[in-house]
Amino acid sequence: MNEQIKVIEIKNLSKRFNNLTAVDELNLNVYQGDVFGFLGPNGAGKSTTIRMLLTLIKPDSGSIKIFGKDLQKERLEILKNVGSIVEKPDFYGYLSAYKNLEILGRISGIEVNKNLIMKNLEIVGLASRYKSKVKTFSHGMKQRLGIAQALLHNPELIILDEPTTGLDPMGMKEIRELIIHLSKEQKKTIFLSSHLLNEVEMVANRMIIINKGKTKVEGEVKELLNKNRLFVTIEVEDGDSAIEILKNSRWIENIRNQINNTFEFNVDSKEIPLLNKFLVENGVMINSIIPKRSLEEYFLTITNEAANA
Amino acid sequence: MIFILIIILFANIQAQTNDPNEIVKSVITKFSQVNDYEVDIDIKVDVEFLRVPESRAKLFFKQPDKVKLKSEGFALLPKDGIDFSPSSIIKGNYTAIFERKENLNGVQTSVVKIVPINENTNIILSTIWVDDKNSIIRKVESTTKTQGTYTLELFYDNDFKYPLPKQMIFSFNLDKMNLPQTFTNTTPKSSRRRFKDGPVIGKVYVNYSNYKVNKNLSDKIFEEDKD
Amino acid sequence: MLDLISIELYKIFKKWRTYIGFIALGVLVPLIHIAMVLEGKNTINFMTRNIQESFVFVGNLLNTYLISYIILTSLAIHIPFLITLVAGDLLAGEATSGTYRLLITRPISRTKLIIVKFIAGWIYTNLLVLWLAFLSLVVGYFIFGTGELLIIDGQMIVIFERTDVLWRFLLAYGFATLGMTAVASLAFLFSSLVENSIGPIISTMAIIIVFVILSAIQVEFFQNIKPYFFTTHIMSWRLFFEDPLDLKEIFKSAANLLAHIVVFFGLTLFIFKKKDILS
Repeated sequence: MNEQIKVIEIKNLSKRFNNLTAVDELNLNVYQGDVFGFLGPNGAGKSTTIRMLLTLIKPDSGSIKIFGKDLQKERLEILKNVGSIVEKPDFYGYLSAYKNLEILGRISGIEVNKNLIMKNLEIVGLASRYKSKVKTFSHGMKQRLGIAQALLHNPELIILDEPTTGLDPMGMKEIRELIIHLSKEQKKTIFLSSHLLNEVEMVANRMIIINKGKTKVEGEVKELLNKNRLFVTIEVEDGDSAIEILKNSRWIENIRNQINNTFEFNVDSKEIPLLNKFLVENGVMINSIIPKRSLEEYFLTITNEAANA
Repeated sequence: MIFILIIILFANIQAQTNDPNEIVKSVITKFSQVNDYEVDIDIKVDVEFLRVPESRAKLFFKQPDKVKLKSEGFALLPKDGIDFSPSSIIKGNYTAIFERKENLNGVQTSVVKIVPINENTNIILSTIWVDDKNSIIRKVESTTKTQGTYTLELFYDNDFKYPLPKQMIFSFNLDKMNLPQTFTNTTPKSSRRRFKDGPVIGKVYVNYSNYKVNKNLSDKIFEEDKD
Repeated sequence: MLDLISIELYKIFKKWRTYIGFIALGVLVPLIHIAMVLEGKNTINFMTRNIQESFVFVGNLLNTYLISYIILTSLAIHIPFLITLVAGDLLAGEATSGTYRLLITRPISRTKLIIVKFIAGWIYTNLLVLWLAFLSLVVGYFIFGTGELLIIDGQMIVIFERTDVLWRFLLAYGFATLGMTAVASLAFLFSSLVENSIGPIISTMAIIIVFVILSAIQVEFFQNIKPYFFTTHIMSWRLFFEDPLDLKEIFKSAANLLAHIVVFFGLTLFIFKKKDILS
């Protein structure tokens, strides 16, 4: 992967709506060939950021460069090479799937012909329904038509905003496979927003987690998820005797939290067997050991915060 | 010679008679050579609040009192000016009064007042100017109960064969019309336009041409149109 | 650009609301024709009763011109309501259906999008007036034929020669499209502000109704400001049924309507270019 070419470069991007700061000094880079996971709980500013990337919304401050070009100044040139789905897939319901794609293709200024449209409908499995009016489509079908329109003009950069929302597990899997195919076979750069960490983990190579409009975590997916320290939750039979034993060991440094018989340790993944061995050898009866990746834990926390806010 | 002189003298006396009934009778007799006619007419209307384009039409007449106006397009004639035959002008029972001799535009005329006896008629009083030499009506002035006073001036060719005019000027007084205000074309100009109150004089000029006289017009022509 | 306009027109004519105006006129005008076949003579008598007292007249006054004139007089103030159905939906409809997101993420400038939509709306407006003209004049011709046009012009009766009428109608319809375009631009402006087409439709209708009511109030204040209402000038097609033409008034009205169109369109463009698409 060539990390030198930045496809998206966002610098100090901010957007306020009345009193709410939706995006706050956001910085991020997406490189050519990336499947870039854009994670955050609902209301984190993902949609606002994507809308700014696609010129639906004007930033208050900061800059966006796509393909090295300034988005404000070279909007048309840039958008020729960007395909996108923004939020729920809406179409002209009173027109057929075919006609919708034809119109969108013509607006993009590409040569539209039946082959091209049917090819794209086949990719998303809607070829047999090309004549049907979109208002008769299910949410999943519209979602797939959304992908077809995003791919229609063969863009280099594809921006997908929660593309699996509302799909059944089978549909979600198809979309994930399609994303991987687009990235591996067609060398597209994909910007994928999601509120599901595992979804991003399955397809993305790099990711960012934002919350309240600010960057929280950024980096390689593998590094972030696996090389990080873990939490281990260990439930013992008798917490009081266990703490006595732990007090005199080096493990006391790693205790993050204790509630009655449940301990939370902050340890490296390689150390879990050693901790386990120490406890067992000192006669501590263990009920369960649950490892938790800290990123997952963290993501869960901010998601819950957002949900309760 | 004397005989001729007597005839001329007699004719002259007859023409110059002051008997109003004789005068009227001579006119009617003269007109009776016309049994029917068909004529092309050009109509020009000069009324302040009635803007009508010049129109062409055909007028048909048959004794004693049948008249018909026909036109491809729109044409309009004053009711009182459509029929200039003496019998139409002098209808019903009347009393004729000789007024005076008058030179009307270079023509020697007898001025006769006609007072209808029948109370039903709309005309209160008519004055007619009769051409002494040709026994034709040159001018009519009528006062009506409802339409005010109107004047009919008739002009003839010098060498006319029949007592039919080549032009008529119909003058009349008309009160300002009280028009319905639906489908009105209100424009800034029309809202500003104000006509002075009281009657105004209107004129209708009718030119007659291409007379076809005594061709035995069918009565059908005078029937009401079906529509 | 032409391709984009044809796309917009395609969209307009795929929506059934577009046909409401055409259907409404397609029902109303023949109804007036039927009424005129049955009762037209009375209408003529009513309009001419004053001259009937003094005149005898012949000719086909109950003709397609008179009826087209009556139709235009009766409907000109209501056609705007039909226009707003489509014009008010041009932008708000995209917001409602969420398709702004499809359009604006495509490589097309917002300015171009606004121009294209405006032109498409303008074409629709023209087609509707053309349809009215066709129904009134052409269909009327086959029922009633032509003839002289009788008009009551304030306190005057004016009769136009039959050869002097058609051009007046053509210009009048042309002028009517200018008036309707002003209405369409107002609806278009409102359409850029909201995300539902009901709002622009109702607001535009309300404004027209208010202006028409104010114009009708015979109070000096309202009569003085009346010349500035664009609704006043919508009816200025009547100026073509004057002889001679009042060119000064015609240009004044045309300038007023054009100014409204320019201002409404300019505002729409300004607002739309700054607008954040949140739908």
